[in-house]
Amino acid sequence: MQCTDLGPQMLEYLAGTLPDDRLAEIRAHLAQCQACRDEVEATAELWNELGAAPSPRLESARMRARFDAALQGYIDGQTESRVVSMAAAPRPAMRWQPWLQLSGAAALLVIGVGLGRFMPSAPQSNPDIALLREELRDTRQMVTLSLLQQQSASERLKGVTTSGQLEQPGTEVVTALLETLRHDPNVNVRLASVDALRRFSSRETVRKGVVDALPQQESPLVQIAMVDFILEASGPETRKVLQQLVEDMMLNQAVRSRAERGLRQVGL
Amino acid sequence: MRSVREGDLARMGVLFERHHRPLFDFLYRMTGDRGAAEDLVQDVFVRMLRYRATYRDDGKFETWMFRIARNVRADHFRKHGAAVYVPEEDMDWATDAPGPAHILERARDMARLKRALQALRDDRRELIVMVRYQGMTHEQVGAVLGVDAGTVKVRFHRALKELRDAFTRVPEGD
Repeated sequence: MQCTDLGPQMLEYLAGTLPDDRLAEIRAHLAQCQACRDEVEATAELWNELGAAPSPRLESARMRARFDAALQGYIDGQTESRVVSMAAAPRPAMRWQPWLQLSGAAALLVIGVGLGRFMPSAPQSNPDIALLREELRDTRQMVTLSLLQQQSASERLKGVTTSGQLEQPGTEVVTALLETLRHDPNVNVRLASVDALRRFSSRETVRKGVVDALPQQESPLVQIAMVDFILEASGPETRKVLQQLVEDMMLNQAVRSRAERGLRQVGL
Repeated sequence: MRSVREGDLARMGVLFERHHRPLFDFLYRMTGDRGAAEDLVQDVFVRMLRYRATYRDDGKFETWMFRIARNVRADHFRKHGAAVYVPEEDMDWATDAPGPAHILERARDMARLKRALQALRDDRRELIVMVRYQGMTHEQVGAVLGVDAGTVKVRFHRALKELRDAFTRVPEGD
């Protein structure tokens, strides 16, 4: 195997999805090629950094309202043109065009948002509003948990992302994220769950869950992300865990190197 | 999509609900501009309505949707140029907020990485966005681009390499 053969297979190697024969070939090559080992490590690091870039904020409700207005305009336009052509009537001078409807809807939306902003808000203590908020939070949580159970990887990925939008997720969501990290068959979903768990890294149970799950991971890519998690969490156990990883000869070389650099970072 | 093609246009709202998030994510990461990405999402769905007759049952809906999204984005770049936008609000998390040094360093690295990604050639950035952020397999990307999975692997590796180079060129203090 040549160094140039590694590149196109790199991601599959890091994801742990290569067939055994090709995996053995790559491992044999890496054992004797420092340049390729560096390349693997740099790629894994870049991949994880890319994954840590936050998702853009999305104003779904506003976008949906805008699309509904455009859709209605389109449907009305279709119906109107059908009626007009059936009656063979001349085109009216002033047609209620879709763009005009869209602008109208946008204007109404702006007015609505403006009114919402400047109208005095109900007192926080209003029990109905508090109840509504609680119900909304529960519903969002249920949606997240349900998405995490879906067969499609992109739906589960959506579930992991949605968990990041929950203000105060309950223990069930955190447990589900840890389960996803341990057992999800898709590398990107597992990587996303490591990112989602970062906000709970002050909880000892979460740190322990990630540390325990690390040896079970087949993908070095996920393992590196987990090493980064342990490092950032800065728990009292960080040094000990990193030291154990460095000494674990069964671990992938790139993961051990990352742990070694982590140890240097925390001052050992 | 089949019912939309058969004339039940209102069903397009269901498709919008299901797919506007990944589409927005794709278009935002391609343009770096939230407002433009929102407009382009609307354009994609309107085009899907207009060209609904071209949807074929044998293909995957997402493949068809991303093909349209690529065209919409290409038209946008033709009209407005492939300018790189790095809106201020997106750099918020890279400010000098107090916090542990490594978190701050990480935030700065993220900001540099984002700039490096935006500096890449359009087709390279598109590959990285589809694989990394949309979670698409090489085969799925190949179906959108009209090439085989092997070609995607080679191009993708090249794109990652270029990203690494671009990342090292972005000044650290920027």
